[in-house]
Amino acid sequence: MGKQRILSLFHGLFLAFIALIIIFPFYWMIASSLKTENQIFQLPPVWLFKPHFASYAAAIVNDNILRALLNSVIVTVGAVVLGVAVGAPAAYGLARYKFRGSAQIQFWYVTNWMLIPVVVLIPFYLLAADLRMIDNPIMLILIYQTFVVPLVVWLLVDQFKAVPIALEEAALLDGMSKFGIFLRITLPLTIPGITVAAILAGIFAWNDLLYAFILTPGTDARTAPTVMMSYLGGYIIPWGRVMASAVMITGPVVIGGIAIHKYIARGLTLGAVK
Amino acid sequence: MKPSVKSILLGSACAVAALSFAHSAQAWTLQQAAAPYKGETVTVVGLDRPSYKAAQKLTPEFEKETGIHVKWVIYPYENTLKAETLNFVSHSGQFDAILSDVVWPVDFTKANWVTPIKDFMANKDLADPDIDIKDFFPVWRHAFTIKGELVGLPFDSYAGLLYYNKKILKEHGFSSPPTTWDQLLTVYAPKMYDPSKNLYPYALQSARGETQTADSFTRFLWPWGGRYFDAATKKITLDSPDAIKGEAFRQKLIKFGPKGIIADDHSQVVQLMGQGQVAMVTEWSAFYPTLIASKAGPDIGVTTEPAGPKGQYSAFGGFAYMVSAQVPKKTQDATWLFIQWLTSKSMAKPLLENGAVVARASADTDSALQAKFPYLAPMVTTWEHGSVPDWRPQIACYPYFSELVSEYGSDIETGQYTVPAGMKKLTGKLQHYMNSTGCWNSVNVPKH
Amino acid sequence: MTDPTSPEVRLPRLRKWEPWFFVGPSLILLLAVGLYPTIFVAYFSFHSWTMGMGPPVFSGFENYVETLTSSDFIDSLLRTFIFLIVTLPIELFLGLSIALALDQTRNAWLRRLVQILLVVPIATTPSVVGMLVQLMFNTQLGVVNYGLHVLGIGPVDWLGNAHAALGMVMMTQIWEWTPFVALVLSASLATVPQDIEEAITLETESFWARLRYIKLPFLRPGLVASIVFQTIFTIKTFDMIYSIEKGGPGDATQMIALHIERIAFRGFDVGLASAESVLTLIVTIVLAQSVVTFLYKDEV
Repeated sequence: MGKQRILSLFHGLFLAFIALIIIFPFYWMIASSLKTENQIFQLPPVWLFKPHFASYAAAIVNDNILRALLNSVIVTVGAVVLGVAVGAPAAYGLARYKFRGSAQIQFWYVTNWMLIPVVVLIPFYLLAADLRMIDNPIMLILIYQTFVVPLVVWLLVDQFKAVPIALEEAALLDGMSKFGIFLRITLPLTIPGITVAAILAGIFAWNDLLYAFILTPGTDARTAPTVMMSYLGGYIIPWGRVMASAVMITGPVVIGGIAIHKYIARGLTLGAVK
Repeated sequence: MKPSVKSILLGSACAVAALSFAHSAQAWTLQQAAAPYKGETVTVVGLDRPSYKAAQKLTPEFEKETGIHVKWVIYPYENTLKAETLNFVSHSGQFDAILSDVVWPVDFTKANWVTPIKDFMANKDLADPDIDIKDFFPVWRHAFTIKGELVGLPFDSYAGLLYYNKKILKEHGFSSPPTTWDQLLTVYAPKMYDPSKNLYPYALQSARGETQTADSFTRFLWPWGGRYFDAATKKITLDSPDAIKGEAFRQKLIKFGPKGIIADDHSQVVQLMGQGQVAMVTEWSAFYPTLIASKAGPDIGVTTEPAGPKGQYSAFGGFAYMVSAQVPKKTQDATWLFIQWLTSKSMAKPLLENGAVVARASADTDSALQAKFPYLAPMVTTWEHGSVPDWRPQIACYPYFSELVSEYGSDIETGQYTVPAGMKKLTGKLQHYMNSTGCWNSVNVPKH
Repeated sequence: MTDPTSPEVRLPRLRKWEPWFFVGPSLILLLAVGLYPTIFVAYFSFHSWTMGMGPPVFSGFENYVETLTSSDFIDSLLRTFIFLIVTLPIELFLGLSIALALDQTRNAWLRRLVQILLVVPIATTPSVVGMLVQLMFNTQLGVVNYGLHVLGIGPVDWLGNAHAALGMVMMTQIWEWTPFVALVLSASLATVPQDIEEAITLETESFWARLRYIKLPFLRPGLVASIVFQTIFTIKTFDMIYSIEKGGPGDATQMIALHIERIAFRGFDVGLASAESVLTLIVTIVLAQSVVTFLYKDEV
């Protein structure tokens, strides 16, 4: 039917447009990382060129980007593991129990989330300085909990609610402890949701700039996004190196996100009970 | 036979004389002075700029000679003050050698965060007799003299210079660059303005932040007779007719610049110049190597900035090293030895050759070096005749002061305010800020 | 946050402290980490303290008065509202469109592609996005203006003109966060039960009717979540805008987080910055709460 064909065309065009808008900046970033400094600013833009890896070499040698990436991995994994370990039970508790204070607790979590980093930076820094924990990744792992835990709890409460209560009741009759039920019945059924929460929290932790910049400023301890910040303040912005670093910083996160994209639909079912 | 008293006395006298001769013949050496500090670690704040790269390259020489380990911590400029201030307020002892921009010494000394230089200079064991403070250009000594005392050792020093594209100038009938701003605007600019060919006579870096304050706003203040304030009467004077005249000139000048220049920082302006789109820029001396290496490099010449109707006042900026007062004495001494070494006469030449910029007259006026680095000669001329140490105010609350200047300066530049209205508003804001923070009490008015 | 439309499903509680066993660790952790800065900020908002200029001195409501009477704070807050009010509806509309487009059966491979790509903008480090924008939107040398030039449109002064800069920052925010909304709504649409969908397809051909009566109730939790998330993210926005132009030109793109950063780390005025953040926090909470209440007001 003609109408369907036209609709399909528009549908396709719309999606193609979206895809293009998302891809183009990425293409530009990757292309710029492979061009020489003069080529980057050339107009008309250079579309076909010989790739030139000097920027990557420079970023690795000059800016210690590999060390920064390692630090980011340590901090992100640490923060996510802690956040999920602590947040999943909390979400379960909020999902399955009605008790006094549950609303206040949720409110407290969200308030934590709303703290503007710029402001709490000063007290965190002063605290870290007092405890001689500047340049210590543990400080970051702890501070990131202010947004990891609320996110994890928010996403998982409804996941847990979606698990059929009958399963848990049956296990209860079998004599399993509450925690046992949580661990062996509920959790396995919500792995997709937990994965999504973990990846999303991981993305935010990886991308954090302000906290990392102030609390782990040393060249050995700093995380990947802070390398981006340091380019901003140089006299000359070495655009090739900036883009090379950008590719290396966003690469892992984007790949991670793509890897789990299938789970996202299942993991983000907020408040839906089949 | 018992020696006579006389002979004993004579013998002792001779011995003492011999010993003292030996002592004075034994000159001060770094190695000796550093002996008690072997094994210490000194943490030094640096920036991602050529001078510090050069310093880092040469640091192993110091480490080898003294056994003191030096750790460099590199910060982006915009965050250096933040990091250092937080360090001091929290007493975290993160840094030993403190880097101070020319506008920060009041900040650091007022709160007693740094140990006075004179303490170290008075210590015979630590002070290099060859330090020759007078070898630093007067403008630099004065810039870091607070309440009559030198508080830092200058390192990484800049002058604003005029870079021009000889080829473009020649193509339009000019065999030499302009010497006054008026000339640049009325004679040179109109001839070289052709947007259709992407050709502009002049580009002014104006990005929000210190660039707007230092490179854009202040540059068009002094040469017309404008001043930030009168310390004696505690009044901001940016609404004076001279100040307004200067900034109005800026508005006329940027009409000849590329669109969007208001957001451009050093990086973009240097790119534009390097690509041959702009004929002239007034940028820091530190950009010479980058410009020479660009596409337009072979055509680039460098000279002093143009003068205004009320005199020559080129952009002035740079840094100095100080010693943190919050670290143990032993570390402070070791730190002193390092910064003394880094800023010494003997290190000036090697640093220069590795891309650094230093304020040592002996090195900068050396004819061989001047031949090798063409920017040195105009830089020296600028420091000797065309700069003032408080080109930007030396006040404790400079950072936010500069923020306000940067905000209104760029608002005026984009045309959001007319020059008189904008200057009046800025004056009001600055006056309120200075009054409410009690900053007037610590204003430093250096010798010119 | 818990969705009132889902039935309350509870297990019998055997011991009184059970819920606390589950919730406890997270509570302790957040109290330890989050309470200290909150109290610090609240405490210092009542003190006059500029780092390096003497010790903190109690000053009552002085900081609050100065904040509320200073045009800078109000301006930044208003600007942030405008930022939110413009970007949020666009993100919702676009996000919903994408989600609906993905819910169709046509053009399968394109749908797969877009579904994968949606993760990309969310995952990208905001400061990287800002640097990219700086590169691509440069008035003289940027590729965006080149593209416009090819289309015959004159160069737009993205970074130098106050209005264009604000527009550019809004576009970037929309680019970054619409995919998130699309994902959330797409997930919500996936929860529409198959049998209901089939039934309604037999009843009516009208796309709009189907949307309104069947899909909307399932979309609602996703919409609420999106609005609350976006409100929080938008008010916190810092990295992206800072790395584009630090809030310039002038203060055209100076949002509240950037404004507070200036006070705290240029002026080093801890007291004033604390007062401003307390006020901002209150505003954020009120906003988020009213959204939730408003959208659920017709529910029991």
